[in-house]
Amino acid sequence: MARGTVGALVSVHAASEIATVLADRVRSARAAGTPLRIVGGGHWLDAGRPCRALETISLAEDAGIVEYEPGDLTLTARAGTTLADLARITRAEGQWLPLDPFGSATGTLGATVATGSAGPLASAFGTPRDQVLGCEIVTGTADVVRAGGRVVKNVAGYDLTRLNVGAWGTLGVLTEISVRLRALPEMDRTFAVEVSAADGWTWLRASEFTPMAAELMSPALGALLAVGDAAVLLVRLGGNEALVRGAVESLAALGPMREVPASMWEALAAAEPPGSAVVRLSTAPSRTAALWERASAIVERARGSAHATLTRGVVRCILPVSGDGDEEHARLRGMVGALQNLGTAIVERLPASLWPAIVAPAAVDPLSVRVRNAFDPDRILNPGILGEPA
Amino acid sequence: MTASTLPHADAALQARLAAIVGERRVLVRAGELRTYESDGLPGYHARPSIGVFPGTRDETIAVVRLLAELGMPFVPRGAGTGLSGGALAEGVVLLGLHRLTRIISIDAEDQRALVEPGVVNAALSRAAAPFGLHYAPDPSSQTACTIGGNVAENAGGPHCLKYGVTLNHVLALTALLPNGDVVTLGNADGECEGYDLLGAFIGSEGCFGVALDVTVRLARNPQAVRTLLADFSSLDAAAHAVSAIVAAGIVPAAMEMMDGPTIQAVEASIYAAGYPVDAAAILLIELDGAAAGIDADADRVAAFCREAGARGVRTASDPAERARLWQGRKKAFGAMGRISPHLVVQDAVVPRTKLPAMLAEIARVAAEYRVKVCNVFHAGDGNLHPNIGYDATSPDESARVHAAMAAIMQACVAAGGTITGEHGVGIDKLPYMDSLFSPATLGAMCALRDVFDPARRANPGKVVPMHSCREWHAAPSARS
Repeated sequence: MARGTVGALVSVHAASEIATVLADRVRSARAAGTPLRIVGGGHWLDAGRPCRALETISLAEDAGIVEYEPGDLTLTARAGTTLADLARITRAEGQWLPLDPFGSATGTLGATVATGSAGPLASAFGTPRDQVLGCEIVTGTADVVRAGGRVVKNVAGYDLTRLNVGAWGTLGVLTEISVRLRALPEMDRTFAVEVSAADGWTWLRASEFTPMAAELMSPALGALLAVGDAAVLLVRLGGNEALVRGAVESLAALGPMREVPASMWEALAAAEPPGSAVVRLSTAPSRTAALWERASAIVERARGSAHATLTRGVVRCILPVSGDGDEEHARLRGMVGALQNLGTAIVERLPASLWPAIVAPAAVDPLSVRVRNAFDPDRILNPGILGEPA
Repeated sequence: MTASTLPHADAALQARLAAIVGERRVLVRAGELRTYESDGLPGYHARPSIGVFPGTRDETIAVVRLLAELGMPFVPRGAGTGLSGGALAEGVVLLGLHRLTRIISIDAEDQRALVEPGVVNAALSRAAAPFGLHYAPDPSSQTACTIGGNVAENAGGPHCLKYGVTLNHVLALTALLPNGDVVTLGNADGECEGYDLLGAFIGSEGCFGVALDVTVRLARNPQAVRTLLADFSSLDAAAHAVSAIVAAGIVPAAMEMMDGPTIQAVEASIYAAGYPVDAAAILLIELDGAAAGIDADADRVAAFCREAGARGVRTASDPAERARLWQGRKKAFGAMGRISPHLVVQDAVVPRTKLPAMLAEIARVAAEYRVKVCNVFHAGDGNLHPNIGYDATSPDESARVHAAMAAIMQACVAAGGTITGEHGVGIDKLPYMDSLFSPATLGAMCALRDVFDPARRANPGKVVPMHSCREWHAAPSARS
């Protein structure tokens, strides 16, 4: 019985208790006008986001499995549970949560969902928005809301769950999350193929095979991960033996190919040097190859690296930052600006002092402001983290 | 008032609406409005005060702005195939959008389409077929239901087991808010930052406004398909086969269960599919994907069914047989209509491991209330569809049927499930919302509704019980 095997992780506090305590905390903060920074594993604290908080709410201790019945392929966990713990617990049952955001695996489920972070597996499994079934939230009005549910299909009521995924905690503190799991594939093999962005996209678009992930890496990144010094498409194939064999044969026609260990994905997730600036560009999938070429030119000039989820049209650019002098900031400003000019750009990380000047605030359209007013009228939760003005 | 006359105010409204959409597209007579008195769920009837049917985007905007100017409530409606009473317009304006049927573009390269809300679900897949593409969500009403309605209900369908529901297939949409504002939600050409207003809009049951156009993902037609029919001498055995397949990591495109009464109803109808009429349950399981490996999965699925006690497993030998097997499933509601004049349809969801116990509980409730339940449902998702045929003219039978449904719903909630997996709350499931959500959660839903429709004029009285819409805490200090 799975619940027994994960018993050690179960939080000593009942779910509602913690949420109730947090609600009191939010209520006092609201009364006192003390804005709160919500923190999970702390991995976003150095991202440079201009959050104006005076106190911190840490969810790192609020970890553990609330409910896990493997036969349901769903799991409910406290927000502070790390992705690494989730992976370990579900793997024991032949299952996984196919969410692999960039950064450390000691990141929490809560932060992954709050930031809407996803990695290469989003190619086949979608982003947190597609995998979260429900959540418990303590709103900026100090209400404990239980949105959605624990079953895989649910249209009861308005979708407060989607509203909080990717909201960076500005509408409520996520305290508990239910997700959909998948069974681990019979085979899970990864191959590195030397191929251009255009040819990679052509194969992915037309092939009868759907890889679990297909991430194009710039030569610099390939060299860093020791898979080669040309642009390399890292392809993760899952399924039964016949399916994977068929896909391997099809892939081999693309270019020089070799199998690499699955640990390559963890290496990719942890590849960016600490303190790097990270900008995510996106476009329609068919235009990704063109975007890749233009972004690569800029990234190479900056001696950075890039990788792209071709089927999603996402190109993630990593720019090294050396020091915090004016000259370095001016250089960085130029590089980020050049990337922003290429299309939809989401800044993940940047030196804090640069943020207000070059990142456009999010969620400042009239509807979004009304949403914020409804759930955090006094701007108690993570104020400024979306770049919005006071 | 009599059926053919309108009070003065409505006559003035009629004239103003006619000036926008033309006289023929404004309906006021009882006879003309009868079609619009109910949706796909028989048993609920409500007459709109007036029906207006714009034919273009601009007409739709003009109509909604006029209604905003007059402060009048309205109910959006697509094809009226909904199963929750969600499109019922009790004495208010009914805004029909089924004439907005333009497929504006199909982008084969990026596998997406831009469509107007009145485009019929199956028509979109037909239009995409020359490109080897289709629109994946496939509610059983897909030959009639519209994309706009699908968005409003976050519609599902058998193939959502593998491919996901409407939410997972909409990239962006242009929303016309109840106050007449036009806003873009989502981003068809890249990622989105900020609040997922698109996600909030999908499944809002017409209470947040209407979609003027929708950008949807199209899925590639699979290279290979295998459709299996497994027949069982007990519901329990079929339910265990479902669990075994799911646990093995095989994700069928669809996995549907039908019980004996449903099979018999289908086989006695013009939709007869060749199902074994003496089976207690059948599973209709479809696998799709690359040709490589599909037979290995099909063999394993067949083996799981046999291990669980299947009397036989057969595979559709050609596309015609496959279509026939599916038609029996998709027309099952229609087939039940042959047997009883009225039908209640629910779509509660339970955790998958609770399926065997819940099917037993449904049988127990049916016996207790002396009603006949037909189960036909999305077994792979745990999404039940217990249907009860009855004669609504019998007060005693009606009372027993509704009491039985209430008992089934409460059992599903108690098992950790939900009251609706794809049909929506509408008015039909309003009484159950309090048992599923806390007052604070329902209050939060009202607060979200007020973001999109502060005057609460769009589809009034649906989804969230009125008593839950207390003053949300934000109000006193809310900024403008």
